[in-house]
Amino acid sequence: MTTISGASRLLDPRMQKLITRGLVLVAAVVIVLFPLSPSASAQNTVILALVLAIGASGLNIITGYTGYLSLSQGAFIGIGAYVGAILATRFPDVQPLLWAPIAGVVAALIAMLLGLVTYRSRGPAFVIITVAFLFLVQFVAIEWVPVTNGTAGLTLPLPDWPDPWGNWPFHLALVVLLALSLTMTWWIRRTKFGMGLIAIREDEGKAGTIGVNAPVYKLLAFGASALFVGMAGSVYGYYLSFVDPIGMFSIITSALIVLSVILGGRGTLFGPVLGAFIIQPVNNFANDTFGGGNARLVIFGGLLVLLVILLPKGILPTAAALLEKTRSKGTVGLSGARLNPLDRPLAPAEARPPAPTGRTLLEVRGLHKSFGGNHAVNDCSFTVPEGSITALIGPNGSGKTTVFNLISGTMTPDRGEILLNGERIERLSPWSRAHRGIGRTFQITRLFREMTVLENVVAPLRDFSVRQLGLGAVSGSEAARAEELLEFVGMSAYRDARAGALSYGQQKLVELAQVLMLDPKLILLDEPAGGINPTLIERMGDLIRALNAQGTTFLLVEHNMPFVVGLCDPIRVLARGAVIAQGSPEQIQKDPLVLDAYLGDDYLLEAPSRSVNIPVVERNPA
Amino acid sequence: MVSLVQTLILGLQVGALYALMASGLTLIFGVMRVINLAHGAFAILAAFLTFTLWRNLGMDPILSIPVVMAVMFAIGWLVYVLVIRHVRGAHVSMTVLATFGIALVLEGAMGFIWGNTSTAVRTSYTDASLSLGPLYVPQAMLITAAIAALVIGGLYLLLNYTWTGRAIRAASTNEGGALLVGVSVATVAALTFAIGVATLGAGGAMLSTIYPFLPGTHYQWIARLLAIVVLGGLGSLPGAILGALVIGVGEMAATNYLGAAWPVAVPFLVIIVVLITRPQGILGTRLREDAVA
Repeated sequence: MTTISGASRLLDPRMQKLITRGLVLVAAVVIVLFPLSPSASAQNTVILALVLAIGASGLNIITGYTGYLSLSQGAFIGIGAYVGAILATRFPDVQPLLWAPIAGVVAALIAMLLGLVTYRSRGPAFVIITVAFLFLVQFVAIEWVPVTNGTAGLTLPLPDWPDPWGNWPFHLALVVLLALSLTMTWWIRRTKFGMGLIAIREDEGKAGTIGVNAPVYKLLAFGASALFVGMAGSVYGYYLSFVDPIGMFSIITSALIVLSVILGGRGTLFGPVLGAFIIQPVNNFANDTFGGGNARLVIFGGLLVLLVILLPKGILPTAAALLEKTRSKGTVGLSGARLNPLDRPLAPAEARPPAPTGRTLLEVRGLHKSFGGNHAVNDCSFTVPEGSITALIGPNGSGKTTVFNLISGTMTPDRGEILLNGERIERLSPWSRAHRGIGRTFQITRLFREMTVLENVVAPLRDFSVRQLGLGAVSGSEAARAEELLEFVGMSAYRDARAGALSYGQQKLVELAQVLMLDPKLILLDEPAGGINPTLIERMGDLIRALNAQGTTFLLVEHNMPFVVGLCDPIRVLARGAVIAQGSPEQIQKDPLVLDAYLGDDYLLEAPSRSVNIPVVERNPA
Repeated sequence: MVSLVQTLILGLQVGALYALMASGLTLIFGVMRVINLAHGAFAILAAFLTFTLWRNLGMDPILSIPVVMAVMFAIGWLVYVLVIRHVRGAHVSMTVLATFGIALVLEGAMGFIWGNTSTAVRTSYTDASLSLGPLYVPQAMLITAAIAALVIGGLYLLLNYTWTGRAIRAASTNEGGALLVGVSVATVAALTFAIGVATLGAGGAMLSTIYPFLPGTHYQWIARLLAIVVLGGLGSLPGAILGALVIGVGEMAATNYLGAAWPVAVPFLVIIVVLITRPQGILGTRLREDAVA
């Protein structure tokens, strides 16, 4: 009896929080006071583990949060050590530990340079670049003899403090750096900055369309990932009292850092530290017992392979998932709940479109885009009147999605102009366009799968400022607005569900709410009615009408003709990359060019009329 | 002028060896989207196998190629079954880490078996060369170039004129589609990995007659091979060949005109510059990366 209640008490979230805090506190006390240990080799292990933990904690920001795997994190320990060593040998009167901040700043600046590279390359290409970067830094350390003394390395002065202090200054300096690094990581995770980084990890292209200025975010993330690592590197170099290119820029160091991050759990606050305090003792054991070298390679290589296969998420996330599973056993999830669109009449029946202002919100002039020899968009021109629901229709492959990509900035046109409210925007980045009031959804929904529904809706950014980076990720007024939008699309019951767990149709609704968070003037919808059930299609139509009545302009691509005819006016018809016809639904349905290129000769026989209720036809998603 | 032509001759010959070794790397990426960071280590392993056959059985490296290729094929298949199979479909960074782990294990294991000292296979043709007026052509390199042409030609025929080759190409273009029309993608992947590693059998065998090697040199080789496939376009076989020739000539030119330390840096600079300016490489095509994910 008592065991059962004891176990269930252990599963209580508050109890777990207490236990976690207790464990962290105990671990922190043990680590801080470790130099009291009589064993010099144990002291050495802990000092090295601290260096590794700072490296791992830094890597966590770019690998765990931002999603860029780097095999060159060890280089920043080396760069920090070299900066410290070079300054210490040039200025023998200054205590070498004081150079740590400069070492950190230099490392951060070089890391930002590496971050610039991510502007063009992602995924596998980036990993390759990091390997090349590490070897290039080593090459510079070897060849730049006047400064680095080449392969011979640099010898630092021995510590000038009294003997009884022993390793305490090294140790405490590293403890402080680890604490600072963890504080920064914790702070990043709970700000807009961290949310943006996670959005980049989940889907960088999409992040741009909701206003996340990815290059700046990544640049700052790379700087942050190396700042304290460079500082720790300079302390480490002083501790060893010797730095050389082979020891400092070994790829094994980077491998140990990656191992620590993955083993402990990437994206968690304490995981990388836990990983480092597991890996470093193993490393020392391998060195002491097998004389390092080959055995160490086999052990860590094997460990890496096993980890990737057996425990890819790492210790902390796996443990958390297990606890969560035990706790939620027997409770009913939301996944089976029906979404009933008729719960609440959404749009008042008399939702009338706003009176036309006569102004043009968006204008596309002579747009061209080709992929190799394929002219996907070929001299395309059309306008979207302010306050309208404009449709862009046309056969598959006629260039509709490419036009969307050109308007939202996912691609840049080869030629032509795009004007929003008279302002040229065709060379602007996706996020600048989002900030100017263009929001878009995707044909196949692209939510941030690992975030909750609420986080997804809060993620969009209406503008960019440095101050904003430090704001809370889910702050009061924004959360309230997001909940309002979720209520509006009828998805508030799912606010805490993981976005990846939703059905396709539900994701479409959440993506609409997400775009609305931008307060866009113009919303681009790519097949809003594609692949979802008839009731949901009706709901989507109601939502669009309701938003339009409040003044939002829409441009949508859709194949469901009854849906388009019932909702949109005017219609632009695209074929072979150019607009071949435009006008009201009535005109379009009778236009021989359109019938020939898209609708087909027998379309008129079953043409829907605007006056009757919209017959909803289930169609295959294109 | 003579020195320019000489540089070109040597560069193209070295490039032929690089092409032979890079063809497997680009094939594996093309079919499985796996960047095999263990490729350099496999090459060194093949070199050590050749070395053992030569020292213990007196086998000429050229004659040992079929044996080494067969052994490497088996090792490739085994590594696929033991490791790669489990990480296919995982995030690309996970597969990179797995193959990096394999490289470390191989490096350590080779150190245990053959030691960490510089090794070379010395044959009658190692230092011989043909002279053509003021120019010279090292014999070992000439033989290597011929073998490279043979193996790459064979690979080309296999890919384009056999059912297996069609299955491999189908799986590389559209995995789901290949499955639907009855291609066992898992077997094709295993076969591709094994073939990719087997081509290193020939590459490693010839490497052992030209360059000194030790377990740790695999980093230098993987850097060079990555530079080649990145330059040519990841996944493109003609691209890899072109990239290999460019890098070969570039390294020779750097040695001649800049100094002996520079060839080391050439691959790294090439990787960084190419991936920043033209990520798809010379012959690669950019994948459609947009709303239709």
